[in-house]
Amino acid sequence: MGVKLLLEKVHVEGIRLYDVYKREGGYRAAEKALKTMTPDTIVEEVKKSGLRGRGGAGFPTGLKWSFLAKPEGVPRHLVCNADESEPGTFKDRYLMEYIPHLLIEGLIISSYALGSNNTYIYIRGEYAWIVDILEQAIREAKNNGWLGKNILGTGFDCEIYVQRGAGAYICGEETALLESLEGKRGNPRIKPPFPAVQGLWNRPTVVNNVETLAAVVPIINITGEEYAKIGVGRSTGTKLISACGNINKPGVYEIDMTISVEEFIYSDEWCGGIKNGKRLKACIPGGSSVPILPANLLLKTAKGETRYMNYESLSDGGFITGSMMGSGGFIVLDEDQCIVKHTATLAHFYRHESCGQCSPCREGTSWMDKIFQRLESGKGKMSDIDLLWHIQYNIEGNTICPLGDAAAWPVAAAIRHFRDEFEWHITHAEEAQNRNYGLAHYADPITVVQ
Amino acid sequence: MAVQFSQEKMNKVQEIIARYPEGKQKSALLPVLHLAQEEFDGWLSTETMDYVASILKLTPIEVYEVATFYSMYNTKPVGKFVFEVCQTGPCMIEGSNEIIAYIKQKLGINVGETTKDGLFTLKTVECLGACGYAPMMQLGKHYKEHLTKEKIDAIVEECRNNIAINN
Repeated sequence: MGVKLLLEKVHVEGIRLYDVYKREGGYRAAEKALKTMTPDTIVEEVKKSGLRGRGGAGFPTGLKWSFLAKPEGVPRHLVCNADESEPGTFKDRYLMEYIPHLLIEGLIISSYALGSNNTYIYIRGEYAWIVDILEQAIREAKNNGWLGKNILGTGFDCEIYVQRGAGAYICGEETALLESLEGKRGNPRIKPPFPAVQGLWNRPTVVNNVETLAAVVPIINITGEEYAKIGVGRSTGTKLISACGNINKPGVYEIDMTISVEEFIYSDEWCGGIKNGKRLKACIPGGSSVPILPANLLLKTAKGETRYMNYESLSDGGFITGSMMGSGGFIVLDEDQCIVKHTATLAHFYRHESCGQCSPCREGTSWMDKIFQRLESGKGKMSDIDLLWHIQYNIEGNTICPLGDAAAWPVAAAIRHFRDEFEWHITHAEEAQNRNYGLAHYADPITVVQ
Repeated sequence: MAVQFSQEKMNKVQEIIARYPEGKQKSALLPVLHLAQEEFDGWLSTETMDYVASILKLTPIEVYEVATFYSMYNTKPVGKFVFEVCQTGPCMIEGSNEIIAYIKQKLGINVGETTKDGLFTLKTVECLGACGYAPMMQLGKHYKEHLTKEKIDAIVEECRNNIAINN
């Protein structure tokens, strides 16, 4: 068993309730932080921990916090990004649903560290029942003196509010989220200015992911130095991975980033191997936006070294032979899955979710979706493959926000690693339509971890 | 029928507005639109949107542009029960296409349509964050996961019973 810092108590009966959470050692970190630490020492502690943003970008959290502008007399805000919408990702939902007080405690400490008296949780609109769970936890925390005026006699005031989105992937991008929180369409803003200087209502704002803010609790409990000892290199602490697709045990797992990808897929402690005894074909290791990898490149890097479940190892080889840790949305495809068909659903997703602000993304995602539909309907042409390649190439890097890149990368990687499957889809159009899978020759037999 | 929140809902609106600094009541737009949609037959008519604009002191266009941007707001009438089936990659792998086909056949409607009795609407949606419990759909406030044909039968039955009881 690896180290567990976030989900250690998740199976304790009634942990969703304040009394149980408190009894199990909850709110110790909040007490320690508010009574014995200054806001600056908390920021230092988070810096020392090496914690990196768990939403997908992996930016150092302490550094992000230190950028927050503090002009005299201007209120500052902390906003928790609970808009979790990246296909393959359902870890924040799990955390909020089963151990909501961990997030609330992390928010109290972080709000104190950043000087946010009004903190907002922006949650995706579809997680409607989780809004009730969070609001219940907030009420309990308030009734027990952890929120409201003059918390623990420190003179610090704090309120937490939950705001529901209404169905827009783009609102997971921090500036689109702020626009949405201001009651507007989720159109990302041009940066700079960054939210740390001009964020919510033009006030200095920090936006952090749910898991990131929850991780502040163990950091305060065990110190940043101890937290940094867990994991490897710049991948410190633990990471939640939501695993899905053709595996025996889909679900949310907390890993300490020292295990290999092979162990994660095949060990009974984690995914439990490929379903129905089939072979592994490919995997998208960090949410739909990151490059898909064929089995051989997933388990070993291009240099032939074992690939591990951490930021550095997953991105080893760049986008040519590597991928990314991303949001931790781990999608596994077995030998029967068709890469063209799967990528087509993602192309459709990004077309649907493009906010329409930048032409390369608005038009490009639409064209890519149409071309994929053509391939899927058996009317694809060989030139379509290069056309897709050119379109994704012209989206990447040419948009205000990273959604353009996120739409381009899955298409680029699918063509890069599975071009012959695209070709087969075109030359064997009828066959491709009548069966559910494409070429299976990438599913090389691999050693199974016992 | 004039569109008008009950006093209870109006209090809720005021409570939401109080979450933001003074003069920033526009921030209440998304939550108030959710409230309006729940209250007024599951969709936002022009009349409803104009009403929300008047409460929040916004121009109608500020409300229309938001209502049409977000996929959860219905700007056309929908059935009493809206089946929103996820069709993105991880759900597709687990057979969401078969589930969608089965619902179409069972209810005799296509995606985007409502049954003649006004009970059911079928929509396809993009990833709802339930990839490990696929295939799935949203029904009202809740998720229905690990869907099978049998589960769909049971859900449809439950919805019909629900209506019969409430009538």
